Amino acid sequence: MESNPSNIGHRNPDIVSSSYKDNSGYVFLYEGEYYRAVSQAYEKEYAQLMQSGLYDSLVHKKLLIAHQETETIPLENDVVRILYPTQIPVISYAYEWSFSMLKEAALCTLNNALEGMKFGMMLKDANTFNIQFLNGAPILIDTLSFETYQDNESWIAYRQFCEHFIAPLVLMKYCNASLNKLMLAYPNGIPLEVCKSMLPLKARFNMHVYLHIFLQNRIASKPTHNNGNTKQYFSKQKLFTLLEGLKSFVSSLELKKAKTIWDNYYNETILSQGYLQDKKTIVNSYLELIPFQTLLDLGANDGEFSLLYKNTSKQIIALDEDRNCIEKLYRQCKQESVQNILPLICNLTNPSPDLGWNNDERPALFKRINADVTLSLALIHHLAIANNLPLEKIISFLHSLSPYLIIEFVEKEDPKVQQLLANRKDIFDSYNLQHFKTVIADFYDIQKETKITNTYRILFLLKRKG
Amino acid sequence: MTHLLYIDPGSSSMVIQMIVAGALGALFFIKNGWYKIKSFFTGKKESDNDEMTTL
Repeated sequence: MESNPSNIGHRNPDIVSSSYKDNSGYVFLYEGEYYRAVSQAYEKEYAQLMQSGLYDSLVHKKLLIAHQETETIPLENDVVRILYPTQIPVISYAYEWSFSMLKEAALCTLNNALEGMKFGMMLKDANTFNIQFLNGAPILIDTLSFETYQDNESWIAYRQFCEHFIAPLVLMKYCNASLNKLMLAYPNGIPLEVCKSMLPLKARFNMHVYLHIFLQNRIASKPTHNNGNTKQYFSKQKLFTLLEGLKSFVSSLELKKAKTIWDNYYNETILSQGYLQDKKTIVNSYLELIPFQTLLDLGANDGEFSLLYKNTSKQIIALDEDRNCIEKLYRQCKQESVQNILPLICNLTNPSPDLGWNNDERPALFKRINADVTLSLALIHHLAIANNLPLEKIISFLHSLSPYLIIEFVEKEDPKVQQLLANRKDIFDSYNLQHFKTVIADFYDIQKETKITNTYRILFLLKRKG
Repeated sequence: MTHLLYIDPGSSSMVIQMIVAGALGALFFIKNGWYKIKSFFTGKKESDNDEMTTL
C-alpha cells in the first residue's frame, strides 16, 4: 500500500519525487543536502532499529548508511525525527551497473535482511533503488526499510527481491549480459513472466532458477482460494533458510565471459608505443592546472585514465557503454580497494532518461552528475563519424557537463578514423581541426593545446565561457 | 495480524515461500547431513525457540 503523498507534497516542496511510496517517512532536499524525515507511523520501529543494536551493527558492517539525528530543521506535522545521512556523491541506478555491481547490491540487501533477523527486525522492501554505491561498495540507503519481525510471517519483499535482483541477474547470466538494460523498461522489477519467457530451457534445470522464477510465476499466476481465515505458519527457521538459500544462489552466479569489441583495447589496439604514456603525461599536467573535486571520464574504457587518480580525495565517475570494460574496472577497484571511482555503463548516444511517475521519479543520468572537469579522450571520432553527430551538438553537450573539458581531437587522417570510414561514404567534410576550433570558440576558451607526438591527435584543455 | 504493508507481496507469496524454503531446506539437508534436517523438521512447530545462532 502506498501512502498518500499529497499532504507531504504540499507541506514540503523539496521532497524528493521518488519518495512517496512508504508512509514511514520521506527524503527531502534542504540547502543542497539530503535529509530523511521519520514520520509518527514509523516512530516505534525507528526506536527499535536504534535501540536494539541493529543500527550500530549494520553501520559497523557497512551494510546501512550512517546518519545523525539533527534538530536544526524544525519538525512539521507528523514528523518525529529528521536524519542527516552520509551524503552519496553520485546516485546511480541498476540499469547502469555491471553484473558484479548488481550481484553485490543483491548480497547487500540479503545481508541487511539476515542481520535484521538477529535483532527481531526484517526488511520490508528489497528494490535496487534502495542500494547505492558509496566508497566503492553497495550500501542500503533507506534507513526506514526495517520493520518489526512478526512471528510466523514470510518475507513480504520476496517477490520484489526476485523481480529486482534475481530476474535481471539470471537473464544476464543465461541470455545476454546486456539485459540489465531491461530494467529501464521495467524500473519496478522485471515481471517473472517476462523473465521466464526469455530464459533458455537449461535454466529450468537450475533448482534456484526454477523455484524463484518458474515456480513462483506459475503459482502466482493461479487464482488463490485463500479466504484469509486460514492461519498459515512460516517459521523463523524457514525464513532464515529462504534468505540463506537466496544468498548462496546469488553468490554462485557468475557471468559467462563474452568478448566485446572494446575488450583489451589498450593491449591490442594502441596506435603506437609511447602514445598512451605521452597522453597520460599531458592529461596529468592539464589536471594539475585546474581546481577540481569531481572528474567525469567519458568513454573510460577499463579506466586507464580514471585509475590515475585512484585513492586520492577526488571523486571519479567512469562511464563507458561497454559492459565488460565497466565490469573489469569495478572488479579491479574492488580488488585494489579503490574507493573513489564509480564505474557506470552508459551509451552516450542514449544515456538513461528520466523515468517513473510523471517522468520525475528517477532522474536522467546526467542530471545526477555534477562534475568539475570532463575527460573526453579518443571519443569524438566515435560520436562524429560512427554516430553522425555534428561537432556543434557534441561540444554543446560536453559544455553542459562541467566547467572544464579535456578533449582529444582525432583528425581524419588518423588510422582509427580511416577504419571508421573504411566501409562508408565520407560525408564528413566539416570534420576537421579548423572547424572543430571554430565550434569550441563559441563555448570555451582554449587554455592549453598539445599535439601528441607522431599521431594525428591533439589534446585541448578548455574552460567554459561565461 | 494485519500490520501495514506498503508493497504487495502477491497473494500466493506465503505458499511460494513455503515451497521454496522447503526445497532449499531439503538441499541443505543433502549438503549438510542428517543432523540439520532433523532439527529442521522437528523444530518447525516451535519457532519461538528457534535461535539464529544454532542455525
